[in-house]
Parts: sequence; structure tokens; C-alpha cells
Amino acid sequence: MASFLNVLLQNLISGPATDPFPFGETFTPKRIRGRIVVDPGRCLGCGMCRHVCAAGAIHLQKDSKGWTITIWQDSCCLCRSCVTYCPMNAMSIDPDWHSAHAEEDKFKRIEQHTISYEPCARCGTPMRVMALDKARELYADDADVDPEEIRHLCRSCRQMSDAENSTVCVLRSDINTAQQEGRD
Amino acid sequence: MLDTLLKKTSVRSPWLFRINAGSCNGCDVELATTALIPRYDVERLGCHYTGSPRQADIVLVTGPVTVHMRDYVLRVWNEIPEPKVTVAVGICPISGGVFRDSYSIAGPLSRLVPVDVNVPGCPPRPQAIMEAVVLARSIWLKKLGLEG
Ligand code: SF4
Ligand code: SF4
Repeated sequence: MASFLNVLLQNLISGPATDPFPFGETFTPKRIRGRIVVDPGRCLGCGMCRHVCAAGAIHLQKDSKGWTITIWQDSCCLCRSCVTYCPMNAMSIDPDWHSAHAEEDKFKRIEQHTISYEPCARCGTPMRVMALDKARELYADDADVDPEEIRHLCRSCRQMSDAENSTVCVLRSDINTAQQEGRD
Repeated sequence: MLDTLLKKTSVRSPWLFRINAGSCNGCDVELATTALIPRYDVERLGCHYTGSPRQADIVLVTGPVTVHMRDYVLRVWNEIPEPKVTVAVGICPISGGVFRDSYSIAGPLSRLVPVDVNVPGCPPRPQAIMEAVVLARSIWLKKLGLEG
């Protein structure tokens, strides 16, 4: 008898269990998969994300000036494959889950970036500028290299410059993996 | 006269109907969650899941509309009286999602019937479905000629 009164009392003081949404605020779990975003500062246009995308949500169009990467949010199943396989960690997941929209906005829910090539600082060939933190990471063991400068060189000029100056350039796959695991 | 009376009295409660057009059941579980779990309680919006298409106002479709399900979906969809609001729940009915271009898919849904509201996700969370129902309700009121 007493135990049932206890439950009754607890229910009275604990208030309703219903989430006030949509009349009030709701909670958003920290790791919820809302929508996929790509960082245009990091993307290399390699096409790995398009290759692994289960839902065919990623479109990549290349020409001589650069490329356009498009993600159609209405097709993305948020499997996170592109985040895992992107070699530049350019993909990430935004917790914004407000996805309901009217039919006329169906094709407007895209994430699109046009990325242009820039001329190599040495030879002038159109090339993709390396992300600054990637350059820092590669040349972390060599204090003589200015990452800001070297990231504006194309691949062959960078190889030449590294050979001329006996630069230490180390690809840290372990750091890469650790960073990626910490991301999500 | 009866018509206006019906319109006025029913505006507070659009009834929902679910069609599973070959869904994996993920979105259906989220739909059941919005209705059956006190935490989300869709009945606060006056919405109530009905078992009969003839009583429905808002129809929630899940699944990519498989070739096998197409005729059944169309038959049930046509039984719902106008004005009705069609909501595509999950990426499958919206774009085909991971099943797009498959030999066994007749969808996406918008190829077969006019869709009004989309709520993508795989599956969308219950709150997102609630948002879609709120949006569908306002579209439904507009279709009735009553601004919500
Ligand atoms: S986002 Fe990543 S995987 Fe996709 S093209 Fe850019 S660098 Fe490559
Ligand atoms: S999360 Fe999955 S479905 Fe979405 S864009 Fe990335 S790979 Fe494609």
C-alpha cells in the first residue's frame, strides 16, 4: 500500500514525461547525425567520397578550372562512410536535424562548393593549394620550411624543393587516424 | 452548410495514416514512436493514427515504393479522401536513397503521386517527424481554405 503511494507521489512531483517539442525546446544529443557538410578548404576533389557513398548522394564535376562538389541531403543516408574514407578529413557531420521541408525545396537541400585551382607559385601550373594544417603536419619535423609557402607549390615543384633543401617531410598516418577518431 | 461545419470542427484534428511502401521498418519504428511513446505524443497536435485510409487526412509514406508495392500503394492512396497531404518519411520515398536506380524500385514517390512534405533521414528522428506533421497540418489547412 505504502509503495504505491510512493509511486503516486513521485509521479506528481516529477511532472510530465512528454518532451515539450514542437511547442517548446527539445534536446539534441551531441553525436546526432543531422546532415553531412564538406569543408571546401580541405577537399582535394579526389572522388573517394563519391566512390564510397552508398546512396549516390555525392556528385563531383571537374573541369580545367577546378571542380564542384555537391551533396544532396535528401539522398544521403548519413552512413558516415565519406567521413571515414575522406583522406583529407574534409567531411563532417553537423548535428542540425531540422530536416522537414516542403516539396518545392527538395532540390534546394544541397551542400555545394566550387573549388578553383590556383597557379603553382613556382611553375604556374594550375593546382590545388594544400590545406594549411596538412602542410604543417607534413613538415612538422623541419623548422626551416614555411608551411604557408610550401602549400602553394604543385606536387612536382614541392618534390624538387624538398630534394634541393633536403627537407624532412613525414606522412603521419597514425596522427590522421587518431584525429579522425576524435572527430565524431 | 454541413460542409463548412465539418471543415470547422475537424481542423483541430487531422488524422494520420501510414503506408509502408517497402520500407526496412526503420522509419515505421520512428513513426510508431511519435504516436505511442508519451515522450513525443503526436496526439497533442490533435493527430491520431487511424487504421482506415478513408478516415485519413495526412498520409505518411515510408519506403522506396518497390515494384511489388506500387499498385497497393496507389490503391490505398486513392482511397484517402481529398484534400489530403502526402508526407514522404525518410530518404527512400524522397529520392530512392540507397535503392535508387534499382531494378525493383518504382519510386521515388513523387514520380507516382504528388508529395507535399519531405522529411529526410535514415530514419529521421521523432522530433523531425513531428516538425513534418506540423508542416503538413498547415498545408492541409491551406488546402481546406482555412489559414492555420
Ligand atoms: S571530400 Fe574528401 S574524399 Fe571527397 S573529393 Fe574531397 S578530399 Fe576527396
Ligand atoms: S554519409 Fe554516407 S550517404 Fe551520406 S554523403 Fe556520406 S557516404 Fe554518402
